Amino acid sequence: MSEEFKSLLSNDIIPENWYNVTPDLPEPLPPPRDTKTDFSSINLLNKILPKEVLKQEFTFKRYEKIPDEIMEKYLQIGRPTPLIRAKNLEKYLDYNGKIFFKYEGATATGSHKINTAIAQAYYAMEESANGVTTETGAGQWGSATALAASLYNLKSQIFMVRISYEQKPLRKVVMSLYNSNVVPSPSNLTEFGRKILKENPEHPGTLGIGISEAVEYALDHNYRYMVASVMNSALTHQSVIGQESIRQMELLGEFPDVLFGCVGGGSNFGGFAFPFLPKSDDIEIYATTAHEVPKFSKGEYKYDLMDTAGVLPAVRMYSLGADFVPPKIYAGGLRYHGAAPSLSLLINHGRIKSDEVSESEVKDAIKIFANTQGFIIAPESGHAVASAIKYIKNHRNDKKTLLINVSGHGLLDLSIFQ
Amino acid sequence: MPMKNLIPYFTLGYPNNETLKRFLMAMPLDIINYIEFGFPSNDPRYDGPTIRKTHRIGNENYNENFYFDIFKHFSDNNIKMYSLSYYSDIDDIERFAAILSNLGFSGSIIPDLLIDYYDEAFDVIETLNDMHFEYIPFFTPSTPDNVIKKVSEKTFSWIYYGLQPSTGIDIPYDLDYTCSRIFSLVKSREINFGFGIKTIDDVSELARRGASGVAIGSYLVNMLDKNDVNGFIDYLKMIRGALDVEA
Repeated sequence: MSEEFKSLLSNDIIPENWYNVTPDLPEPLPPPRDTKTDFSSINLLNKILPKEVLKQEFTFKRYEKIPDEIMEKYLQIGRPTPLIRAKNLEKYLDYNGKIFFKYEGATATGSHKINTAIAQAYYAMEESANGVTTETGAGQWGSATALAASLYNLKSQIFMVRISYEQKPLRKVVMSLYNSNVVPSPSNLTEFGRKILKENPEHPGTLGIGISEAVEYALDHNYRYMVASVMNSALTHQSVIGQESIRQMELLGEFPDVLFGCVGGGSNFGGFAFPFLPKSDDIEIYATTAHEVPKFSKGEYKYDLMDTAGVLPAVRMYSLGADFVPPKIYAGGLRYHGAAPSLSLLINHGRIKSDEVSESEVKDAIKIFANTQGFIIAPESGHAVASAIKYIKNHRNDKKTLLINVSGHGLLDLSIFQ
Repeated sequence: MPMKNLIPYFTLGYPNNETLKRFLMAMPLDIINYIEFGFPSNDPRYDGPTIRKTHRIGNENYNENFYFDIFKHFSDNNIKMYSLSYYSDIDDIERFAAILSNLGFSGSIIPDLLIDYYDEAFDVIETLNDMHFEYIPFFTPSTPDNVIKKVSEKTFSWIYYGLQPSTGIDIPYDLDYTCSRIFSLVKSREINFGFGIKTIDDVSELARRGASGVAIGSYLVNMLDKNDVNGFIDYLKMIRGALDVEA
């Protein structure tokens, strides 16, 4: 291993603090809003989230110290993740500038999701919760939750959307290996699930139903509900990605001119891009979504529900509508109807640009990346790479330094190529 | 040191005009500093469930003429009155300020202005400044540093700092950090705190850290509901006492 490579992966690359973008936003961040007249879904968060997570959700503290117990687990699951120059990709694209990528696929569960799962599970353990619970679609978030719970000897109850449960058995195996109790949702474990099943025993399930079940389970069993994305606390925990990238680029004597990331709910993107904002006003930033889920170009910047069931508060974000039914696209992680409020604000303000790419562009990008750099990346991450390739085609002679966040590996998503 | 501010909040028309009048007229004027009146809104979006309820019922009951004498009572006794009004309900800001001025109001808290109408906010502030009508900057923990600085520079009155994302709810926060942040961003300015304040301890902790005063709303609703005028007066006196200890 070269000295340079070793220094890029030394323990001190992991930042001591998480970074919260709220105090650095150009405009006030619209707060979450209740949607029901006599009930506060904001107050509900008080009962289902760990107190410390809730505190971080509404804090204006720019930096929050990462507790030693979390830092230890970050090291254990593979942080810092590598930052690699994509020299073969540069050559393949005949690009005169430089391309770097941050590889979150190197974590134990193969994606960025573990960064916030560990933090939330730790705070749940700290307040003596009986366990943690959440919903999962394709299973990335469920896997991260299962591992994080296992690391802190907590029980975990995962409600996996029934259709995914049946179609993606490997993810279910991953969660079970981490001793998680995984059930198809709707399930018989909750009143809400039983009600849905009574109406339709073959119901395929939705993330909204999964959220409702997990929330009910948390309330009834002294569990804590784990938030996958969209909420500010999740983006703050993910800031390890961007902060590590900054240090690694500095060690290489580089600083990016352009950033690329993909957007589902916005947590990998925010965690990657936001720490760069206070460093430079000139850095160009692209948030890429799938053509099939055009939240930034066709969505509206408005208050909308975070979940289809309306259990959680409404937030102001770019949204295609909480009842938007996305097509069953190749990148399950990008099907979400909205995007994190902080990211939405920055897009609306014009500080971050949005881009959309098609399925064929993404598949081409994944193939090109696999054949030039060797990594089989997640279809979600393929959007960021596709966007970067598109950018290079239009800026071939700019000699800019590009940095792409590759949010996960694609080894469990190969069916998209069958 | 000057007396610290006690600012009770009431939604006009809640629980009904007569009961509210009884409470207002029974309030000893020497223990309050300002009074905040919520004009009932159809969309009190940054209020919690308790105050939302008062807006809904207030909307049904509110009768402008009923309150003329009450406004005059406070105005004649030099208790400054502020409205809590949503910008989404205001059609013409100049007319709005002119009407309130005529009723004896000193200014307004407009909680949605900086959040939902940021592009218009500075024009609105300038208009109100020109009319010598106090725009009370409303900041929360989500207000970015640069916005707090910019808005503070453009305004001259006291600042309302909401400790919670909406009224009457209880999200944990670090009080030391909260206070030191706002005091470091805005120096030498009267800063009154609100949102989620109810107990003597809440008030003492804030006053000890340098708060200029406290606004209390949701906690009074229960007393209004029970028609408990005596309990209400006793409560205000207790809060006054807690503020005086730290003054």
